[in-house]
Amino acid sequence: MTRKSAYPYWFFIPAGVIFAILFIVPTVASFYFSLTYWDPFEARFAGWDNYVQFFSEPFLVRGVLNTLFFAFLTSALKTGLGLLLAVLLTSGIFAQGFLRSVVFFPVLVSTIGVGLLFQELMHPTQGAINVALAAIGIDGPGWLVNPKLALFSVALVDVWRGVGLATLIYIAGLSTIGPEYYEAARIDGATRWQQFWRVTVPLVRPATNTVIVLSLIGGLRLFDLIWAMTRGGPGFSSDVLASVIYKQYQAGFWGLSTAGNVILFLMIAAIVAPLAWWLNRRELEA
Amino acid sequence: MARVVLRNLRKSFGALEVIKGVDLEIEDGEFCVFVGPSGCGKSTLLRMISGLEPHTSGAIEIGGRDVSGAEPSERGIAMVFQNYALYPHLTVRENIGFGLSLARVPKEERNRKVDAVAEVLQLGPYLDRKPKALSGGQRQRVAIGRAIVRDPEVFLFDEPLSNLDAALRSQMRIELTELHERLGSTMVYVTHDQVEAMTMADKIVVLNGGRIEQVGTPMELYESPATPFVAGFIGSPQMNLFEGGAARTMGCDVYGIRPEHLTISDGAGQWVGRVRHVERLGADTIVHLDVPDLGPLVARVDGGLTYAIGQQVHASPDPERAFKYRG
Amino acid sequence: MTDRSLTARNYAMGVVALLLAFVVFIVPFLFVAINAMKTAPDAAQLDFSLPERWVFWENVVTTVQTRDYALLLAYWNSTLITVCAITILVIFGAMVGFVIQRRPSPVSRFVYVLILSGLMIPPAVVPTIWVLQGINLFKTLQGMILIQVAYGLGFTVLLFRAFIATIPRELDEAAIIDGAKPWQVFFRVVLPLLKPVTVTVIVVQSISIFNDFTHPLYYLPGRDNVTVQLTLYNFQSQFASQNNLLFMNILLITIPPLIVFVFFNRQIVAGMTSGAVKG
Repeated sequence: MTRKSAYPYWFFIPAGVIFAILFIVPTVASFYFSLTYWDPFEARFAGWDNYVQFFSEPFLVRGVLNTLFFAFLTSALKTGLGLLLAVLLTSGIFAQGFLRSVVFFPVLVSTIGVGLLFQELMHPTQGAINVALAAIGIDGPGWLVNPKLALFSVALVDVWRGVGLATLIYIAGLSTIGPEYYEAARIDGATRWQQFWRVTVPLVRPATNTVIVLSLIGGLRLFDLIWAMTRGGPGFSSDVLASVIYKQYQAGFWGLSTAGNVILFLMIAAIVAPLAWWLNRRELEA
Repeated sequence: MARVVLRNLRKSFGALEVIKGVDLEIEDGEFCVFVGPSGCGKSTLLRMISGLEPHTSGAIEIGGRDVSGAEPSERGIAMVFQNYALYPHLTVRENIGFGLSLARVPKEERNRKVDAVAEVLQLGPYLDRKPKALSGGQRQRVAIGRAIVRDPEVFLFDEPLSNLDAALRSQMRIELTELHERLGSTMVYVTHDQVEAMTMADKIVVLNGGRIEQVGTPMELYESPATPFVAGFIGSPQMNLFEGGAARTMGCDVYGIRPEHLTISDGAGQWVGRVRHVERLGADTIVHLDVPDLGPLVARVDGGLTYAIGQQVHASPDPERAFKYRG
Repeated sequence: MTDRSLTARNYAMGVVALLLAFVVFIVPFLFVAINAMKTAPDAAQLDFSLPERWVFWENVVTTVQTRDYALLLAYWNSTLITVCAITILVIFGAMVGFVIQRRPSPVSRFVYVLILSGLMIPPAVVPTIWVLQGINLFKTLQGMILIQVAYGLGFTVLLFRAFIATIPRELDEAAIIDGAKPWQVFFRVVLPLLKPVTVTVIVVQSISIFNDFTHPLYYLPGRDNVTVQLTLYNFQSQFASQNNLLFMNILLITIPPLIVFVFFNRQIVAGMTSGAVKG
């Protein structure tokens, strides 16, 4: 009996056409174009040249390494701080609801706005941060002008902007842990510290996995904040793959830019897919 | 005329066959109940009649018409679901009239029909409410109203009373029976509750493992169950069934005797046992015995009799009412 | 954890947390607000003093008038893109989520995985420009709208699919028996029931599309197509010496998300945390 299903596949078509043309086709085409010398006028086959260039030119290699550094640093900080903030903001402290809103609000604000704001606040001499540090006798660093520090400074701002989302996810995760676990632990004589490590951390695992995976993907793909704050500078010191892709596109090296895109895609796939699998497996075993 | 005829009906999910060849005739105007344990295929069978579940092979006829390939809406059926399936965003009036509005029935006619149905089911005061604002019994009536307004040849009920509390359930049993008498339509009713089956049905179909175990009137199934499965399923408390050595001494493979057909006495009797547990129901008392020759044995006796735990008694079956099965 | 009453300890910790939050999270926004009300030389100091002269309204007018009212045009463009993209996303995304949830099959699973991969895979920007040029949608608002639909689909389908799982299938079946065609089942029975999750999708996606900088930068260059985030970016390069106007601009584009946040806090939280607590 092959009557028509009540849930026809043609429901996929309207969204599917848009998605296929504007996402799948470019993604598939990117593998080809990454193997060409491509500029606004022509695309000539180039073999692996673009990839070779990516892993031999120091400023491009720097971009790849910076991307990894940035993603792992911000992900680790968001995970750790997010959990601590979430525990604090579910412990019944004064003004808890207001504090949650305050921590979360930067997530919703324009990234460009945040970037430009912190560019001013991190001004080496006049910026409010260094002025405040000077008032207590500390000689503040050149946050964004010191090549050794620029990427790290942007990472701090990214954590400032994104920790609210991690906190929110953790709060949702914590709310699924019933009070009876803590009651049982207290009857067994667990201290607050032990309750945190033996009850909270293991039981909030699904939220941790989400935070790690989301912030890693976001960190690897980040463009707008870096572009607003440093444009990859000083020099190439805070360039990441996403900013390299844009710069090479602007300069007319479309093939190189697309190779950067493919590298970013493969990097995310190589890091996030096994990680998500491994985290999920541990979750099942736990 | 709306006879429902199923011919060698089968259903497989992949390699798993869940309905293993069902032949059944439901007469016009009959109240037919499918009963069986969960997983026996009774709901699947009903959904196949409705057309919501396509069948793998065989044929379904409704009112003399082969509807095997027809859409659910073309089969002349209406269905009442276990969870009522009322549209939460529509009022009672819109819920009952939904099918009519899909069929582009003009508004005045639609309202007239909905009002008539509401009259029958005493839903008049609630027509402008949303389902959320109704009690369980009222929701049940709206679901039935939605079925009646379609003026179907066959009503299909999928465990419609299982979400109601016990008092409401027995009231709705009576209402449904009265509705059946008034409308005179064919009704097919699925339940796992043998009390519903016994009290409402003209014809009971006992299903087990995707096959029909027995078809008959309630009393036929009670008086002469064709298999030990039916014997154990119909009647409460359950019939005492014995296999193996105990049955062989009685000259059969399975021996069954209902609790109400056992006599308990202090004097002589067929079996000797000890009272293990006594349940007092008021009018009746259920006595659980341990009989060394048989195993556990349950008897229903008059509520006035008293037995002490551990007391030794004799139990005798009414030989006319005992069932002996072979194979 | 169990004692939720406001003990002295909780009160003290709350006050400390408030002070910290004030310095870390609120002071930067105050900084924006104060400097947005200063004159240009005053704001160039980048300090925390109150304005010497309060010029809030003048700054609003100047910021809006800059570059032939570029900000107003940008507001119009951004709003148009956001509204159109979200309308398409909600209807088409709900249709996809509906069939994927209701009809578990290899085809559905394949489509689902493909669409979810969009959450992870970075868009291939230059090839996308190549495709947009090929269909004459590069540098057009229509093209930008469709891009936002394609990029927002993963999240939208994820949310809709999860919500549709909570709608009893019997509702569809009752409608089918009532004679509804598949599109009637969807538009007359299911879609009206998706209101809560639709609000969530609208709120979360509108913030993300309105705040999007990267994709308009690539796919929508040109003065006439400027979006809100791009004006801010252009502003910075043009008026490096006028911090007061820069901060006023930041203030003006932060207001819409702030309003949305105040009114739809609950839906935002629901949307942002979906999937966090795995089912």
